[in-house]
Amino acid sequence: MAEPLATVEGLTYTYPGAPAPALTDVSLQLEPGSFTVLAGASGSGKSTLLRALCGLVPHFHGGDVRGELSVGGLDVRDNGPGELAAVCGTVFQDPETQVVMGGVHAELALPLEHRGEVPGAVARAVEETALALGVGHLLERRTETLSGGELQRVAIAAALVHRPALLLLDEPTSQLDPVAGDELIWMLRRLNEDWGTSVVLAEHRLERCLPAADRVLALSGGRIACDADPRAFLGWAAGSAPELVTPVGRLFSLAGLGPLPASVKEARAALRSGGLEPGAAPSDEAPAERPPRRLFRRRPPAPAAVALRGAWLELEDGPVVLRGVDVRFEPGERVALMGRNGAGKSTLLRLARGLVEPTRGKVERAGDVALLLQNPGDYLIHEHAEEEAGRDALAAAGLAGRERSNPRDLSGGERQRLALEVALGDGGQAAVLLDEPTRGMDRPHRQALTERIERLAADGAAVVVATHDTEFAAGFATRVVLMGPGTVIADGPPRDVLAGGWHFSTEVARALDGAALTPEEGAAALHRELVT
Amino acid sequence: MRFVPTYRPRSSALHAARAGASAGFCCAFALAGALYEDPLVLGAALAGVLLAAGAAGVGAEVRRTLWLSLPLALLVTLVNPLVYSEGDTLLVRGGDFLGHRFDITLEALVSGALAGFRVVVIVTALGLMSAAVDQDDLLKLFRRVSYRSALTASLATRLVPVLARDASRMSDAARCRARPAERLAVLRAALSGALDRAVDVAAALEVRGYGLAGRPAHRHTPWSRHDLRVAGAALAVAACALAGRLAGVGAVETYPTLDLATGPGGLALAVGLVAFAGLPFAGAAARLGVARG
Repeated sequence: MAEPLATVEGLTYTYPGAPAPALTDVSLQLEPGSFTVLAGASGSGKSTLLRALCGLVPHFHGGDVRGELSVGGLDVRDNGPGELAAVCGTVFQDPETQVVMGGVHAELALPLEHRGEVPGAVARAVEETALALGVGHLLERRTETLSGGELQRVAIAAALVHRPALLLLDEPTSQLDPVAGDELIWMLRRLNEDWGTSVVLAEHRLERCLPAADRVLALSGGRIACDADPRAFLGWAAGSAPELVTPVGRLFSLAGLGPLPASVKEARAALRSGGLEPGAAPSDEAPAERPPRRLFRRRPPAPAAVALRGAWLELEDGPVVLRGVDVRFEPGERVALMGRNGAGKSTLLRLARGLVEPTRGKVERAGDVALLLQNPGDYLIHEHAEEEAGRDALAAAGLAGRERSNPRDLSGGERQRLALEVALGDGGQAAVLLDEPTRGMDRPHRQALTERIERLAADGAAVVVATHDTEFAAGFATRVVLMGPGTVIADGPPRDVLAGGWHFSTEVARALDGAALTPEEGAAALHRELVT
Repeated sequence: MRFVPTYRPRSSALHAARAGASAGFCCAFALAGALYEDPLVLGAALAGVLLAAGAAGVGAEVRRTLWLSLPLALLVTLVNPLVYSEGDTLLVRGGDFLGHRFDITLEALVSGALAGFRVVVIVTALGLMSAAVDQDDLLKLFRRVSYRSALTASLATRLVPVLARDASRMSDAARCRARPAERLAVLRAALSGALDRAVDVAAALEVRGYGLAGRPAHRHTPWSRHDLRVAGAALAVAACALAGRLAGVGAVETYPTLDLATGPGGLALAVGLVAFAGLPFAGAAARLGVARG
């Protein structure tokens, strides 16, 4: 058997000044050529474990370390991140701070220059790595002109340019749209299969990466709670950590089927072999009756919470962002605003809030409009949480008792909730708009956000959420507005818009051929199938 | 709209040449601006920079830099007569203030204007460098001298637009707060955010092996036709400027009376500066043929 690439024995680590350890008695071995996914809720210790494997813990962060940790035969106590960089490449969450040079070519050359490689070797390695990772066409580009997905690919190429045996990635897809995220995961799988690079990937969206993985390490409270292959992990999670089960896993679990599938393909195969194909079977339910078309649309009696009428946004020296958008959001509605990057979702929300004025057309508002932009940290500008929002608002955000905490010390989900309260103030808005609120958010936090959205809508606000997250949209929305480039291309109930799409579709809808959107609906459909 | 131009790859001789040659070309015009007060020579240097910028496809960016330099030039023009009262032609008789006599003379005003003109030439030449020279390549030249300083400068140029975007986002978020935020708090948060960014970048550098970084090896790259032309033009401009200065060409007197007359030497120098500015772009461009059939 080959020597393990990394060995961790009884590792316990506490950040400087922290009251409790971030990792407790962690022991594991990483085999060469493995693809390991780190699963767990926010704060479970995934990032800390990755930072220990690359040497940032303790050399960069300080703190108290106990136990043994070696990577590629190098003892992490005696070798810092510079030495360990020879063995492992590391990629973090935010692509903006991963890339340090102005040009892509210089970025890829930098790690090799640090290692004192001769110029000929640098030139060849940069060229080959760029071509192998599909960033050859970006080599002459300036890094500031790259999209988030392109930046993250360049960061991965820079981490791999000296061909390390181990690649560590900390939620690399959290800032990317689903397509860019999926492409990244499959690129990692290809690296793993074609070059034998071992991959350790911390990720919240397990449905995205389980099909590529051959091992899952679940962390809970800084301890390893499960160490198994993806199917066995799902079996464990169904009983011990339901929040980690993927949507198709949850579908099977609710329907009482087993074993839980690790991918949509496995789910479809299992359903087919069991004769369960609710999407294919003729439904005995009467098809929903569509309202007759009217030649002249009657004006709704109540004023809209927000309405855009023929709204255009044409940049002076750039493209047309919105092209005569007509859309209205009614009080109490829960709307998911979906579409690819650059379709105009964020701009539409900015127009609705009044941050930007349309170049043509108009925006009507029935009252105040609250907008939570993509980065909740931008709203938090004080030293203590209680200075950001009153005690009642903190309680509404689930932050009672954290009044004196520095907002920067809160977890991502907590910051999100606090920022929403900052944007809402005393409440009473006609509309509440949220721009990509679930990026990097684990499932329990997404569920909590769904509940908050439902409360806001019940209070009479139109809640409009721009999101790429189809599972989240299916869970909270009563209406989905799908945008193409600058225009609305579909508008209707989630079932109509999300059930039959190729891209804008939930995992359950893909497994059941559009017969249901959520695991709960899918399980009910499967029960009906079983009964008949 | 950006006043400070940033480098974008373009198909021009100035962009294609090695960073040292292109930077030398731009700095040669800045040198001419620094050495001379003669308005004709300064005008020729400015015309040379604008000509080269137009030929390199960055005319609009460099013109914006020119506009950016005008307030500074105006400031220099106005401050000079306030602090320097020499000159025979009195324009405004001021009074005594704190023991200093304030008289504004035509000579001091013109001298200030010429100093402002020099500022315009230097800033515009550096704007051309910012628009047409890859900073990464330029900093590579200095890495062999001081690796860490050059890398820090690279990082600064990379982070400036990132931090500008952060500040813009925070400003939008401040507008979206239900209760208005104090500007000081937003500023403090923006600074803290910049520090957080810096810590993240430091971590990224550490895992890229920054701790082991040593002096990079020298890379020999053959000189291309563009390298030779741009370096030749840079040397010609710098040599003319230095030689002219040593020979006393283009010297002007501003005190006690104005003498701005340009002799034949100054005229020749001005013509030379404009002509050498076009040198890198002269000649037939090579074209890639496409085989058919």
